[in-house]
Amino acid sequence: MYNVIEEVIDFLKKVPPFQFLDEETLKAITKDVSMEFYPKGTTIVYQGGPVGEYIRVIKKGGAKVSLGFSEADEVVIDYRGDGDLIGYLALFDSSMSRANVIAVEDTICYLLKVDVIAELIKNNPEVREFFHKSFLNKFLDKAYKEIHRKSLPYSVGGNIFFTTPIEELATKKVVTASPDITIQEAANIMSQKKISAIVLTNLNNTPVGIVTDRDLREKVVAKGRSVKDPIKDIMSPPLIRADAREYGFEALLKMIKHNVHHLLVIKDGKLIGILTNHDLMLFQGTSPVALVKDIENQQSIEGLVPLAKRVDNIIGLLLKEGVRAGDIGRVITEINDRLVRKILEIAEQKFGDAPVPYCWIVFGSEGRKEQTFKTDQDNAIIYEDPVSQSEEENIKEYFAEFTNFVKDALLRCGFPPCPANYMASNPKWCQPLKTWKRNFSNWILVPTNEAILNSIIFLDFRPVYGDFTLAELLRDYVIYLLREQKVFLGHVANMAIKNMPPLGFLRTFVVEKSGEHKDQLDLKTKGIAPIVDIVRLFALEKRIRETSTLERIEALRDKHQIIQEHGDELIHAFEFIMLLRIQNQFEQIKERKQPNNFINPDKLSNLERRTIKEAFQVVSNIQDLIIERYKAMIW
Amino acid sequence: MVITTMRFRKKEPVPLYDNEDSITNQNYVVIDTELTGLDETKDSLVSIGAVKMKGRRIELGCTFHRLIKPSSALKSESILIHRITPNEVEKEPSVEKIIREFINFCGNDIIIGHFVSIDMSFINKEVRKITGSVMRNQILDTSMIYQYLKKKYSQRDLFISYPGEIELYELAKRFCIPISDAHDALADAFLTAQLFQRFIPLLIGIGIKRIGDLLSFGSPYNKEIRYRVSGEIVNF
Repeated sequence: MYNVIEEVIDFLKKVPPFQFLDEETLKAITKDVSMEFYPKGTTIVYQGGPVGEYIRVIKKGGAKVSLGFSEADEVVIDYRGDGDLIGYLALFDSSMSRANVIAVEDTICYLLKVDVIAELIKNNPEVREFFHKSFLNKFLDKAYKEIHRKSLPYSVGGNIFFTTPIEELATKKVVTASPDITIQEAANIMSQKKISAIVLTNLNNTPVGIVTDRDLREKVVAKGRSVKDPIKDIMSPPLIRADAREYGFEALLKMIKHNVHHLLVIKDGKLIGILTNHDLMLFQGTSPVALVKDIENQQSIEGLVPLAKRVDNIIGLLLKEGVRAGDIGRVITEINDRLVRKILEIAEQKFGDAPVPYCWIVFGSEGRKEQTFKTDQDNAIIYEDPVSQSEEENIKEYFAEFTNFVKDALLRCGFPPCPANYMASNPKWCQPLKTWKRNFSNWILVPTNEAILNSIIFLDFRPVYGDFTLAELLRDYVIYLLREQKVFLGHVANMAIKNMPPLGFLRTFVVEKSGEHKDQLDLKTKGIAPIVDIVRLFALEKRIRETSTLERIEALRDKHQIIQEHGDELIHAFEFIMLLRIQNQFEQIKERKQPNNFINPDKLSNLERRTIKEAFQVVSNIQDLIIERYKAMIW
Repeated sequence: MVITTMRFRKKEPVPLYDNEDSITNQNYVVIDTELTGLDETKDSLVSIGAVKMKGRRIELGCTFHRLIKPSSALKSESILIHRITPNEVEKEPSVEKIIREFINFCGNDIIIGHFVSIDMSFINKEVRKITGSVMRNQILDTSMIYQYLKKKYSQRDLFISYPGEIELYELAKRFCIPISDAHDALADAFLTAQLFQRFIPLLIGIGIKRIGDLLSFGSPYNKEIRYRVSGEIVNF
């Protein structure tokens, strides 16, 4: 027999926070549910009117939330669509309604009594979270899980390597000895205890080195060294440490960064275990560490090309493991940096050492360590100021060939050339330090449109190879330039508010209206770019050195008032949109399509849609704060 | 004392509707029935479904749905439509019990149905057997309200004419109301309720705000009820 309530329950099962309730609770709360219909244009809630006794869930339709008492002073603050709630502020403030809610299409709502929801909040922690706290912060984890669940069918192991502290991954059996014992004594201990590595500690029990089976083979037996020599002569110092509470991927980053295969695991200052590349491999299958090692071993561009292709697989792996977008970016950045360094090493071998110290810098997403799937090359060279005209010509000649070789090598490894020619192979962007300084002072002091664009692009620069001092000197100079640059910051502020995220979506998002990506949402321009621009503006205001968006937020926490208040929201918003993008691109690559930044909102779950909407709301709120601060300079 | 009060209550006449009261301020009960056939002399009720409305709000949690042991044998053709086999109906409680429950459920609410006079004639046939009288609730027919709206909104695409348009499912489609797979009395009552819900803003749009106005053209028993009401008053 027909059951009206069952229809309601089936609907609520797909809608947060009700989707977190069990069947029994759903039955209980829908006992007295009712249903209303509002033709387009109906005012459902009046600002200043009494709060209703109902919370409405939109079954079908759309409504706008607005402030103001007449059409002339109306400010639309939000749009609500299928599955969204209306009137839940009544739960916390029963004095009067805070806004108008007007149906913008024929709308059907389910009505639940406020006291029923209040009861739910009292008894159900998940519902409480949903209503009480910022939706974004608290529900992100669930939304993440949902995203990751989508990639699960492609998961091989489904292990939790990237969410497991290394304490649980490390080999606990650590044998230590004094560095003053002989090689023979150490070898005896190792064979007795059946271990492949021994850690040498000083009197304070602080590890000073490690000796492995391989050291005994290569440094003792093969070299004919006396076994009576002290073990410290063959130990490998210094050892890289990792905190027991760090996650596997952080250990992984350290191994990649320092190109080592052992990490000492330290807990409360004490050595509790060793984490080896092998431990990671066991958990991994495809190991980013192994990839980096393979990159290191290459002597030719030909050898690098197939390795570069493996990077995408690693992203897939990280996605499956539930790694956050920021951390995926960090791992990929480390790998890509190594790839670039290797290419530059090969180039130096081919063309001989550069006639002058230089620094290879990257900018754009590479500079911000936010690279995932291969993007356009964005790089440049800073070289030491030449002493003479002739030397300068000599240098230019060298780098002309050198940079073109690198450009082609990068292309072969899957990084397409920058269409706007922001590359070291463009003589304009291969310059001595003094020219770079002049560039930045021109851009910052005389902010024309082009100057602002250039400075925005280059301000995220980060050294990757060569003499890092050159990059740091340039950074010092830029930071010096930024003192009291209100006009320049005003321009940057305008950039930061230029891309308004699309708050106005109803059943679907406000999406592209035409063209190839009709009905799709541009995550990069509408979501990621505004956050990057906002955080860059704040970084410039406070003159900090960091270039990555997430690192900038961390560095600004105790320096910038807006970040102090909204830093966490901003991080969550950024991580979420980035993850959606990476996930989407990964899907596209799997389908052998060219990855892009467009998603189809219909493919998102209700929870994902809500979360991204909240993320957009965060961005929009902060843009409003910027407009407020830069009022006089916004045009 | 108690007895007197009860007697008084029993004798209390149909409440006189305040014709001036708003249509959005009424309690409605939207009904549908399934029948063995349309011949009032031979056929009888198979099931009754009903859902309450408070003004423009459909009370989804307040529904009535009963299968009735029929007084005439189920006809095979309606079995096909309703998928209720005689066996299924046999187990149901007696007509009298269900009719009493239904009368209680309706209370003094205004009864609404699509071509509701058919439903009411079969219901009242049973009611008469039990109480010697008929249900005294006010009645509204959505098909009549539709005809009225159509005259007033003749310019609108929503009211374009085509054969069979007045059928419940056709109107549901026209007003974008989802039709459930279960074609039973409750599903159809719910459909009728949603239809009436859609009508309310349209009625208000042409100035029909008072319940008296709505009853003046939307009720199949308009005259009869007036007569009956006055009769009651005389009796009282």
